Amino acid sequence: MNIIFALVVGFSSGALYALIGVGLTLMSVLTRVINFSLVAVGVFGAYLSIRSAPLLASLPPGAQVAITVVIAVLVAAVVSGVLGWIEATWLSEATTTARSAVTVASLLMLISLSFILFGSQPQPLRPLLVGPAVIIGEVAVTKVGVAMLVAAIVVGLLTWIIVKHSPLGIRLRAISDRQTAAELLGVNVKALQVSVWVAMGAVMGLCVSIIGNTAAADAASMITLVIPGTAAALVGAFKNIPLTIVGGLVVGALQGALTAFPSTTQLRDWIPILVIVLFLLWNQRKEVWDVAR
Amino acid sequence: MSLASPARPANRAWIPLVFALVAIALGAVFGFGMPAYVVFVSTSVLVAMVSLLGLGIVTGTAGMIALCQLSFASIGAWILEFLYLKTPLPAVFGAVSFLVFMLIAGLITAVLGLVIGLPALRLRGVNLAVITLGVAAAVDTTVQQIGFPDQSFAHIPRPFGLSSDPTGDRGYFLFAVIVTVLVALAINALQGSRIGAAWKSVAFSERGTASAGKSVRTAKLSAFALSAFVGGIAGCLIVGQITQVNYLTFTPINSLGLYVLSIVVGSQLIDMALFGGILFVVIPEILKQFRVPLEWSSVAFGVLGIQALTSNSNLGTGVRTALFRRRRLREAARVEAAGDVAAVETVAEAPIPVGTGRPLLVVEHLTVEFGAVKALTDVSLTVEEGTILGLIGPNGAGKSTFVDAIGGFLPHHTGTATLNGQALNGLAPHQRARAGLRRTFQQDRVPPTMTVGAYLRFVTRGKADPAAIADALTFFGCPDASIPLSVVDVGTRRLVEVAANLAARPQLLLLDEPAAGLSHDEHLAFANRLRRAPEHFGTTILIIEHDLDLVRSVCSRITVLNFGEVLASGDRAEVLNDPKVVSAYMGETEML
Repeated sequence: MNIIFALVVGFSSGALYALIGVGLTLMSVLTRVINFSLVAVGVFGAYLSIRSAPLLASLPPGAQVAITVVIAVLVAAVVSGVLGWIEATWLSEATTTARSAVTVASLLMLISLSFILFGSQPQPLRPLLVGPAVIIGEVAVTKVGVAMLVAAIVVGLLTWIIVKHSPLGIRLRAISDRQTAAELLGVNVKALQVSVWVAMGAVMGLCVSIIGNTAAADAASMITLVIPGTAAALVGAFKNIPLTIVGGLVVGALQGALTAFPSTTQLRDWIPILVIVLFLLWNQRKEVWDVAR
Repeated sequence: MSLASPARPANRAWIPLVFALVAIALGAVFGFGMPAYVVFVSTSVLVAMVSLLGLGIVTGTAGMIALCQLSFASIGAWILEFLYLKTPLPAVFGAVSFLVFMLIAGLITAVLGLVIGLPALRLRGVNLAVITLGVAAAVDTTVQQIGFPDQSFAHIPRPFGLSSDPTGDRGYFLFAVIVTVLVALAINALQGSRIGAAWKSVAFSERGTASAGKSVRTAKLSAFALSAFVGGIAGCLIVGQITQVNYLTFTPINSLGLYVLSIVVGSQLIDMALFGGILFVVIPEILKQFRVPLEWSSVAFGVLGIQALTSNSNLGTGVRTALFRRRRLREAARVEAAGDVAAVETVAEAPIPVGTGRPLLVVEHLTVEFGAVKALTDVSLTVEEGTILGLIGPNGAGKSTFVDAIGGFLPHHTGTATLNGQALNGLAPHQRARAGLRRTFQQDRVPPTMTVGAYLRFVTRGKADPAAIADALTFFGCPDASIPLSVVDVGTRRLVEVAANLAARPQLLLLDEPAAGLSHDEHLAFANRLRRAPEHFGTTILIIEHDLDLVRSVCSRITVLNFGEVLASGDRAEVLNDPKVVSAYMGETEML
């Protein structure tokens, strides 16, 4: 029973990893970047939004929550949009490595700014959803977990529909594959790229507002949730969204299962690495070269 | 252009040593002359410099993203402490314990680096970023939980019995200077060696690296392992400096900061690593003086990093390029004053080379399929030793696929290929290159981070001496060996590539459209040189070319591919007059 409980505990974080992984996969497919700042922009937006609490004190509680969330989403979208604008303006033809390196630099900036603005103390970032969604015996599945899984699936499905079945999707795929060619065909590459960044930033801002401080106590440790997220995305090879969701749930479940054995707590942090390593070894069965020819 | 003195490389070997001795002397003066606090902070600069030097190998020279340099430092520090406090070894080694332990810690860290790098080695830099970021976070939390062996109550003794007070700080500073100088010397030597060239090459092109006979795997792993080794050494230096460490010294955010700084300054360059070390330590020190949160320095590094990445430049190479341009201008002025020295082609028209009659490359029933597409169907051909065979055909005929398959980049083909009786099937590209089969690429695969001479040394696997290198360069009218490839235009780079591969004196060289990007006159000169190449270098050549004039003027035999099949093969005139060939080319060239 303990292990099942642990698996369900792992489910909540696993669903979160899945959502982060889906975001990373989408950005990789649509904008050719492994966005290490993806979670950081959301965290930054959410933590900044709770600073508005004193200004909103006179409003009814419902409005306070709504405005806070809107601020979080806006800030995250703007920060992400600025990053996307930088990528689209100066690094449109650069390699994925160079583009991703920019997000490492911005990750460093956002972590440092979080330290400066929010400190390393736990903050009252209340989750939007509290409590269990389903209770089976002693086992509770949290609402946050369910919400994250639903969000991962919805985001995945929505983009799948848009990318595969709409004119916008054709444009998005075109700029991802051959940016200059798409540009020559009159596609407004920059605006599209930046809007992908803005949209993903907004999703992350909303997502962090929903989970609040259930996943991690302070901003900096929350930002590091991008690591199990990348593990999930790697399971889908940064391409396959269903596999990414499975990957996130597996990482979460493995971590949850380990909590049943208190002596193995140190291993918990190594689970994402383990999944990454195993995946990479599997993925490398065949020889791969850096370019097609 | 050929103003290089052959003695220059020999002279240069002294320069780093002189720099090293001067640096140690300056270190001694600084360490015993400056205020105690300055000396202590300067030791931190040296530690950061060593970390950056290690990182520079991976991020700068080899072009990968590595985000766990301080995790390696913390592992190194942990091992050093463990050896000091939990083993009887300090009694065995006495005063040199620190040095011995530092080396052991470095080596163990390097092995761990190999283990981490192994899964990422075939994949691109981004995957290494993912895995190293994960390692950084995991090592951080693990070290937080298990703590360091000193448990904050034992002080680790310093090397050579140096005391843990400000006087000892001065001696330790000198020790750190010597270690830093040794690390810098070693890295400088390695970067100038063939493995260093392989790092630079792999950063630019994996295929180009493999085709030069260097295993991509070895190049990447050696870079990462060496970087981890140096990271471990840096960790040990920290232990000796503060004699008690905890996880806060090695936080992942500082690893990120080091990475970004490494990009900003270009820490593959020794002087820039020093400069980066100063920035890494001094900026937070200044902030501390003004009571500003230290994290602002990381914000600044982030901004600088984005600036460096978006402008695709770093401080080090920027400064060097500017200096080089000035020197070039001065040299150009001098050359002009001395009169025009441009070499005039005086060699008489060489005849088309005649072979020995012995088959060198024998390809039988080669078939390559990409899914449902058959790129090559049952292609058989023979290249006679000492000749130049032309492989022509319309676009999409499968010419480059043929070169890829023979070069080993398409291992899943059917059919066989033998070179001088040796079966090529199953050999990796770098093994084929070592077996005497070289190729050049249609695209630019010449790493701009090297000089012409260094590139030739790399491609020839060190077998060509300076005279042979100069000979190959003059043969093709290439720039002097001391010129950086970054200032050489793309067309000439392709010539350098051809010259380098011929200087390697392979049995067979596959040229994939070597003359693209050359002017008409250069074309003619190239053709004349190519005709002399088999005899001069002892190399048989297979050339893919669209320019039928060139093919006609250098090849004794021609094979025509069309839709992946051999359309015609045989004597030059015979093939070019074949009605099938003419109709396959109709509309594309009317020169036939």
